[in-house]
Amino acid sequence: MTIPPAMGGGGGAATADEPLTDRRLGAFRIQEYALLIAVILLFVIGAILRPDTFPTIDNVRNMLTQASVVGVIAIGMTFVIATAGIDLSVGSMLAAAGLFGGILVDPEGSTLVFILGAVAFATALGSINAIAIAYGRVVPFIATLAMFSIARGIALLLNDKLPVGLLDLNGGSFGDPAAFSLLWFGTGRILGIPISVYVFLGVTIAGWLVLNRTRYGRYVVAVGGNREAARIAGVPVRRTIMSVYILSGFLVGIAAVLLCARLGSASPVSGNLYELDAIGAVVIGGTSLAGGKARIGGTFLGVLTFALIFSLMTQLDLSTEVQQVVKGSIVLGAVLLQRPEARL
Amino acid sequence: MSLKRLLTVVMAAALLAFGAVACGDDDDGGDSASSGNDNTAASGSGGGGSNDGPVTIVASVPPTDHGWLGAISKNAKEAADSYDDVDFRLLEAADSDSQAQQIEQVISEKPDALVVLPQDGEALTPVAQKAEAAGIPVINVDRTFSAPDAATATILGDNYQIGVLAATYIAEELNCDGNVVEIQGLAGISVTEERSKGFSDELKKACPDGGIEIVAKQPGDFNPDTGLKVMENILQAQDQIDAVYTHDDDMAQGVVQAIRNAGRDDDMFLTGVGGSQDAMAQIEEGGLYRATFLYNPSMAASAVNMARLIALGEGFPELVPPEVPRQIIVPAATVTQDNVADYEQYSFN
Repeated sequence: MTIPPAMGGGGGAATADEPLTDRRLGAFRIQEYALLIAVILLFVIGAILRPDTFPTIDNVRNMLTQASVVGVIAIGMTFVIATAGIDLSVGSMLAAAGLFGGILVDPEGSTLVFILGAVAFATALGSINAIAIAYGRVVPFIATLAMFSIARGIALLLNDKLPVGLLDLNGGSFGDPAAFSLLWFGTGRILGIPISVYVFLGVTIAGWLVLNRTRYGRYVVAVGGNREAARIAGVPVRRTIMSVYILSGFLVGIAAVLLCARLGSASPVSGNLYELDAIGAVVIGGTSLAGGKARIGGTFLGVLTFALIFSLMTQLDLSTEVQQVVKGSIVLGAVLLQRPEARL
Repeated sequence: MSLKRLLTVVMAAALLAFGAVACGDDDDGGDSASSGNDNTAASGSGGGGSNDGPVTIVASVPPTDHGWLGAISKNAKEAADSYDDVDFRLLEAADSDSQAQQIEQVISEKPDALVVLPQDGEALTPVAQKAEAAGIPVINVDRTFSAPDAATATILGDNYQIGVLAATYIAEELNCDGNVVEIQGLAGISVTEERSKGFSDELKKACPDGGIEIVAKQPGDFNPDTGLKVMENILQAQDQIDAVYTHDDDMAQGVVQAIRNAGRDDDMFLTGVGGSQDAMAQIEEGGLYRATFLYNPSMAASAVNMARLIALGEGFPELVPPEVPRQIIVPAATVTQDNVADYEQYSFN
């Protein structure tokens, strides 16, 4: 059984309305273009204000590395939001996953055990979200809000509120970490590009392919667009919904590895407010919170926008208050841009 | 439509972010049968009615998801456990509002004394005044209330002095010549402001001709994860950094990692605040982490002892007449490789 491509593309699901779909796509392109312009503009502003330190290869590397943690989470969040869901638990799950991996390798263990442990634990937590939402019929907002609290509690409980040091996994070296040691995933490079950036780009490309080139991707968008219509068309609605929360947990696990690798430890207070950054990036990227429309490329640019702002603001030594105002304004501005298009 | 939904999501998530980090655990150290450590050889009862039966003391603190705050709770519990005649309960509150509600609740239970480390001194002042008005003596720890009638006694560390000591140390190490980065705590609370003000004030005094420039000053929220990211960006922006003054040992671990990842740990040194085991171990080892400024969580133990004395109507025997002082300021201290051995016994993790 196949789903006609038109169905997933416009988000109108079974009531595929060709002119409407076209207009939406047309308007959207302008919006995605606008975000690209914003990214370029921010970079140019940075280059003008701090010509010696902002537009350098080293700083681009730094910004991409910083973006990779929230970036990987935001790709998963794009899938969740495409189904008209939400995952508020990503930041807490990140901390819990890191701590779980950490206690597995404390005092002794290997990088591989840490990675598998962290990813498996985050996936398990995501599965609890998935079951509660798909089978328990709990509203995603509430289910993941509960997990937000549960996972943070677990993170604090796992090692009695203390961080777990992971530097032993790197053999104590910092400058040039051995390949496949934990620190290598955080700061190591291949051809001058940090490993975490490869991971981020890889996850982004895979996410784009799955969402835009597979039947599963069309299911995800169809479920978010019109659940009833999707059901009638034969889409396995429940399984599709379940899958996106498991995917979100899995990607949170990968993000946890990237963060812990850079931090050299797993901290129970890390990941605070990451859900806001991830949701913000997805939304300014043009994915609709109402579901039925997903833009991985937009999410990617949204994550870059936040990374650029953070880097530029710190380089200018602006206070956090100013940073908060600017970041919030950009989210608001981007969503306002989306509004007329939503009305068309 | 989508805007409305986003705002709802964002606001709700933000509200809950502050709320849900804490999971309050009521630790009922009720009838602890440990050895009676009667160190109150009070030469004379300072007046007031002495109690029959155990003294009930309730302590209210912010969520202990941070090393220093965790040590505060631990010290308070241990102090209470050391007395046979103390019935002790520790409450954690996620934010100012829930802390106020919690204390409100406790007032109705009429404990003999209340120990409060407020999330925000100003916000908790009215409820502390209410407790005092209800005849429950309040012992204020670390972050002060904004009215004198909100507490019977106050014990606090000297955050301004911490900044002063840090400036003295860094000015001396750098011979009044170099670039300094300051990684602050949580923006907008008095602890951060005072640690920062003491530092910049003293730098001016220590180096009257200038020479030391604070090239970047950014908050790291007392969180290693934020400290890491902020320091990564500052390292990009600043070619020449000679010293880093961080406001907290926990957070400093993230800052340390950013510097090491950038391979610049030989170019600069770093100082912390607090006195954690990790920090002291690194200071002893030598290298990047050069000093920390002690901000001793054992003040919570002193607070419980003071609460007990006040409830029993006793005082410090060394004072004439023996009373509990209205205010105690615990001195800060500079811990370096030279004296770390003396201070390790006070470290916390």
